[in-house]
Amino acid sequence: MNNTFTSGIGDDAVLEAQINLPYTLTTGKAAGTFLVALDQKIILGTTCEKCQKVIVPATDYCGACGGQNVGFLEMPHSGAITAVTKVDDKVFIFVHLDGADIDLLHIFHGDLSTAKVGARVTAKWPESVEVASRITSLDGFELAKDSAVGSSKPFTGTIEPISEMPYKLSLNYKHSYGPHYGRMFDELATNQRIIGSRCSACHNVLVPPREYCDICYAQTDLYKDVSDAGKLQAFSIINLEFVGQTRTPPYVYGEVVLDGSATRLIHNIGGFDITKAKEILTIGMQVKAVWRPKDQCKGTLDDIEYFQPVFE
Amino acid sequence: MRNVAILGVGQTNHARRRTDVSTIGLSREAVLRALEDADLTMDDIDSVVVCSGPVLFAAVNQPEKWLADAIGARNKPVVRVTSGGGTGLAGALAAVNQVRAGHANRVLVIAYDKLSEGALQYSISTLYDPFWGREFAVGIMGFSAAYWKSRMDLLGHSEEAAAMVSVKNHKNALLNPYAHVKKEITVEDVLNSKPLCWPIKLLDVPPISDGACAVILGSEDAAKKSENPAWIRGMAYYCEAENAAYRSMIQSEPLTIAAAKVYRQAGITNPRRQVDVVEVQEPYTCFELSYYEGLGLCPSGGAAELMASGATQIDGDIPVNPSGGCMGANPIGATALIRLAEVAQQVRGKAGAYQIEGAKVGLAQAGGGWANLRGVAVVSSEKG
Amino acid sequence: MMNDDLERVAIVASAQTQLRSAWGSMQHVDLIGATVNDLLNGSGFRIQDIDVIIDCGSDVLDGRSISNCGFLGAMGAHHKEESRVEEDGIFGAIYGANKVSGGSADVALVIAYSKPSESSVAGYYSTLSEPFYQRPLGLDHISAAGLLANQYLTYSGASEEDLITIAFESWRKASHNKDVEMLGAPSRDDIARAVRIADPLTAPQISRNVDGAVAILIAKESVARKLSDKPVWITGIGSAIDSHYLTERVPGKMKAAETATKFALKSAGISDIKQFKLAEVSATSSANEAMVVEAMGFADFGKAINCYSENSAVSINPSGGAIPADPIMATGLVRLHEAYKQLSGGYGEVKFDKAIAHGAGGLGMQNHCVITLEA
Repeated sequence: MNNTFTSGIGDDAVLEAQINLPYTLTTGKAAGTFLVALDQKIILGTTCEKCQKVIVPATDYCGACGGQNVGFLEMPHSGAITAVTKVDDKVFIFVHLDGADIDLLHIFHGDLSTAKVGARVTAKWPESVEVASRITSLDGFELAKDSAVGSSKPFTGTIEPISEMPYKLSLNYKHSYGPHYGRMFDELATNQRIIGSRCSACHNVLVPPREYCDICYAQTDLYKDVSDAGKLQAFSIINLEFVGQTRTPPYVYGEVVLDGSATRLIHNIGGFDITKAKEILTIGMQVKAVWRPKDQCKGTLDDIEYFQPVFE
Repeated sequence: MRNVAILGVGQTNHARRRTDVSTIGLSREAVLRALEDADLTMDDIDSVVVCSGPVLFAAVNQPEKWLADAIGARNKPVVRVTSGGGTGLAGALAAVNQVRAGHANRVLVIAYDKLSEGALQYSISTLYDPFWGREFAVGIMGFSAAYWKSRMDLLGHSEEAAAMVSVKNHKNALLNPYAHVKKEITVEDVLNSKPLCWPIKLLDVPPISDGACAVILGSEDAAKKSENPAWIRGMAYYCEAENAAYRSMIQSEPLTIAAAKVYRQAGITNPRRQVDVVEVQEPYTCFELSYYEGLGLCPSGGAAELMASGATQIDGDIPVNPSGGCMGANPIGATALIRLAEVAQQVRGKAGAYQIEGAKVGLAQAGGGWANLRGVAVVSSEKG
Repeated sequence: MMNDDLERVAIVASAQTQLRSAWGSMQHVDLIGATVNDLLNGSGFRIQDIDVIIDCGSDVLDGRSISNCGFLGAMGAHHKEESRVEEDGIFGAIYGANKVSGGSADVALVIAYSKPSESSVAGYYSTLSEPFYQRPLGLDHISAAGLLANQYLTYSGASEEDLITIAFESWRKASHNKDVEMLGAPSRDDIARAVRIADPLTAPQISRNVDGAVAILIAKESVARKLSDKPVWITGIGSAIDSHYLTERVPGKMKAAETATKFALKSAGISDIKQFKLAEVSATSSANEAMVVEAMGFADFGKAINCYSENSAVSINPSGGAIPADPIMATGLVRLHEAYKQLSGGYGEVKFDKAIAHGAGGLGMQNHCVITLEA
């Protein structure tokens, strides 16, 4: 996870964040077979066991009646356009392949002005593909004026289907700080100060600061400094390795209730012999923040290197 | 309030990875089994509630919209309810409310997760607040382990007691045809297993699974046509602000509030005595100990003793997780519904090899999020 | 609500933030907290009176999983029953109504919110599709709108001019709605000449995404009568889902909107849609709005345009509807809020005794929900 602290907390300040996640998506039998068939320039349909609809592209189950789809049909490459639109440079079309009951969504290669509803088209195949066995292994469709109407036939060949498809999801965000987080991070960056907001009803101080107290639902009325020291409420010794980890195991994860506040802060506990953590650390003991040098501070919780046990 | 009953239940054979079906195929399997169990078809179903883990787990946003076409739900009301790990029970509650309001006569609840689609660690990291704590959070495991440590000191929830939970649940799973982890282990094995986030060790952690569960709920009228319905005697699902002032991390307040409400609805004044079988959702073994107390099966600080007494074993007087709980299979989005389904099967006498004899009243617990979403349900073979 | 042993339920209060291109100065929790507070102020209800909170938002738009988890305090949900429906807020309203009507709660808060300005709307919509056949081609809400509009014009006989008029009327009405932030309404010419973003649709014909939050309070009759002087009864609800693959939809029609409307009317005990003179409907494009209006039965196939003339028997979207202001997860609930406002005197003199509100979710408006109200 990459978070960028944008300088100058004020109205409209944002935190940039990315979500980048890898996957191996399971295709199921129909899609797994259909996609590989495209590599061989074969377009497969299937038939619903229950209502007999001819479904293209092949799917495992019939959306119309809930039946199981069985068998594969080799579809002709010809058909007619039934819907069209153009977005930027891409022309999307629905193609009614001859013999199919369900149309196929794909890309039209040609001018939008020639992609009329009802126009005859035929499949266009790519010269080469970067990745095989994808819907894009079929390039799309191009005009095929007056092409003969084809028909489907049962598919008798053998296809070794894929069962999974690697996929990556990348989403970018610009999160608004809002008034309270904005103030808090500004104080952290500029003054190495941790502040919370006080509930006007119960007077508990809440970190991070917020407009409403979660318990009373009364408004918070002022900001209050909280100490950078407090009580260790809980801890765990981390041996687990995972991507995005900011510390190298083993290290101690801790939850601290800073003096003056009523809420928990997640951080690391350090500055002691970690191999003796079980003996040294006690629930309820006092811990104090050890800050990084001012020139290394970025205005995040990471400006505190760790919380160190305070021994009487 | 109108009566609601469970008319049928279906589960997939859960697995570490199902390569033969997509997420929608996995769900369809459970749906078909539930329909068969209830002796119904999709034509009899008025409404569908879908539950799954967070959408980022499998890269399809609002997946119920893809799923609907795979289960014959086209043109029916379909909605997805989410609640992290507790989603299955939250979905069941939505269905219960639909039936109580006369909005639907029979509702199908389908809960699933195909955790193998994504890299769970990566996906779990998206739970973090982007502003606060993302740098330090260690998934759900980090804080769960931290508060287990606190409970160890304050309530005596020792590593040994948690290890006994692991041993019990792993052993019970051997009898469960749907579970995929079949491992007989000892307390020593658990204590010696690799510490991941101490005190949580490898054998304190459930597996990662692909699986689905479907439950059909119906009105009293619909239940007349059912051979042996399991009546919903109470159900509630509460939440807690993640970082409220002095949030108790030692005992779950939303859990105790939900339990109090459900026991009142069900007329239960002494759960230990009046409940015959319990299924809880233990994302780590330490939670099962915590739930013994949260559900009022024993007093605060009494969980280790209860575990050691043998009372929660399959042959004890208050068996907990005879199905093996999460240790046998943990498809997160389905897990909560599985707990409800398991107690329903118990009171219907359909729990097969791990049937608790004479079970009439079952208690289910589930939850998710940052341990701040908690639900409880009581089912019975009697309408009440 | 239409059964003897069940109490009727009413909307007793509602509130909404202004809908803006970007609420840059506010986090989600800030919008949510402000809305709930606004809702309670002057309603006669306190936070303690609320038994359950149904919230609607999107993990993908919010940028975090189980995003409601971090917002519970701001919603006032602490130690209350809560459930998240990851769908348009109007579907949450169904849940809230059921919860109260069935006797599990006396008072329900339903809240929906989005900040599309913080994320990629194309990412939100493209990930709504299955990942094998449609998504890899680049299908998103814009191409989906274009394809559906193309079908509508091809099959219904409606014209591009009709679609321009629908968009024009929407923007014109919204420019009078102080709850929609706008610089000014485009002229008919502006709309016609704008970029053809998804042929045949020009840019102002695709709904504009905005940030915002909206909440409504639902109470059972005995409570509503005690605390509210203008309860508006929820008389009927219905929802239905259409096919996932765009190619399997009935060309030019929104069959699921038709089904949802039928169910809502049936449960309200109303046989003729024409009894409704006020309709607040959601849409992601001008053509989609036309299809919804026809699906509900207000006009024959291709004739939705008649509902936008001055002498139309039914008033469609006096608020401006969703085309000028579409907060995605909250759009349908905004429609319900607007309808409630009209019936409860929120716009001054009450001109209607009943209203019908509609919302939808999914790529190309796959899932539809309809709620009928009566003053």
